[in-house]
Amino acid sequence: MKIEVLQRNDLELVFKVEGLKTGYANALRRIMISEVPVLAIDEVIIHKNSSVMYDEILALRLGLIPIKTDLERFVFQEECDCKGRGCPLCQVSLTLNKRGPGVVYSGDFISEDKEIVPVDDQIPIVKLGEGQEIELEALARLGRGKEHAKWQATNSCSYKNVPLIGIDRESCDLCGDCVERCPKKILEIRDEKLIVKDVLKCTLCKECSEACELDAIIPFHDKESFIFKVESTGSLEPEVIVIKASEILEEKAEEFLRELKAAIEGTGV
Amino acid sequence: MMIPVRCFTCGKPIGSYYYKFVERVKRGEDPERVLDDLGLKRYCCRRMIISHVDLIDEVIKFSRKG
Repeated sequence: MKIEVLQRNDLELVFKVEGLKTGYANALRRIMISEVPVLAIDEVIIHKNSSVMYDEILALRLGLIPIKTDLERFVFQEECDCKGRGCPLCQVSLTLNKRGPGVVYSGDFISEDKEIVPVDDQIPIVKLGEGQEIELEALARLGRGKEHAKWQATNSCSYKNVPLIGIDRESCDLCGDCVERCPKKILEIRDEKLIVKDVLKCTLCKECSEACELDAIIPFHDKESFIFKVESTGSLEPEVIVIKASEILEEKAEEFLRELKAAIEGTGV
Repeated sequence: MMIPVRCFTCGKPIGSYYYKFVERVKRGEDPERVLDDLGLKRYCCRRMIISHVDLIDEVIKFSRKG
């Protein structure tokens, strides 16, 4: 297996993996989407709300705000030593007090923990009119994407097979039809030769082979190489999502092995 | 009423872009260029911003009992 990072910034990680089966790639993708834990507001205690927005809608909006997460420091509330009563290891309290007129932003939250704050402080929550007021306490907890989308660590998380473009140089007459038809503009005729500029941008749409009357160009893909694109909501760094997903996959495999061994021993076969 | 916090389809947080978008378009910039500049690549996220009507100003004059 060979891994190469193609692109990386605060929110996005693009990497190529060679020598991987589709099943494994898909397992990793699904775990990244639904099982990597992040913090999100789960319970809202509303002391006062005279805004035009109902409490339920307000609470839903608060839940969807991504919150910076440090996975080293937090545990799931169900698994915490406090037995679900709530302690600094499993929940963070954020308070929000504001009086109108004006817009309430996610940056108006005051967190009891300096590091656990909303990712973006410019997200509008509600607009308050003259004399309207909100006063609430929100509790952020760890959760998984399969339970609610607010706990999803990734926005867009996908993979595609590595595209390859086969050119039959003997029958190609350099007519240039494929160069024009390609929607990604990755083909070029240079020095009397058809060349592919950036093969990874190819979407395998097959426009080029349809344009070619001589069947001299065929795009296909490598079945055992993948390009992963992981986009984070900002709660976790994209590489942390991939690492955590691999660890979860490993744990699942280990648990399976343990249970299987126990089951075989149990039957005495 | 207010701009949704996240894109309905992909889940990208887009709430913070709405006021920036409106302000820049009002100043005369091309909406397409503004969306590109804000980093909204997918059409699911772009439609969230383009098609939103901020209706809260219509109801804000009424208050609920706090």
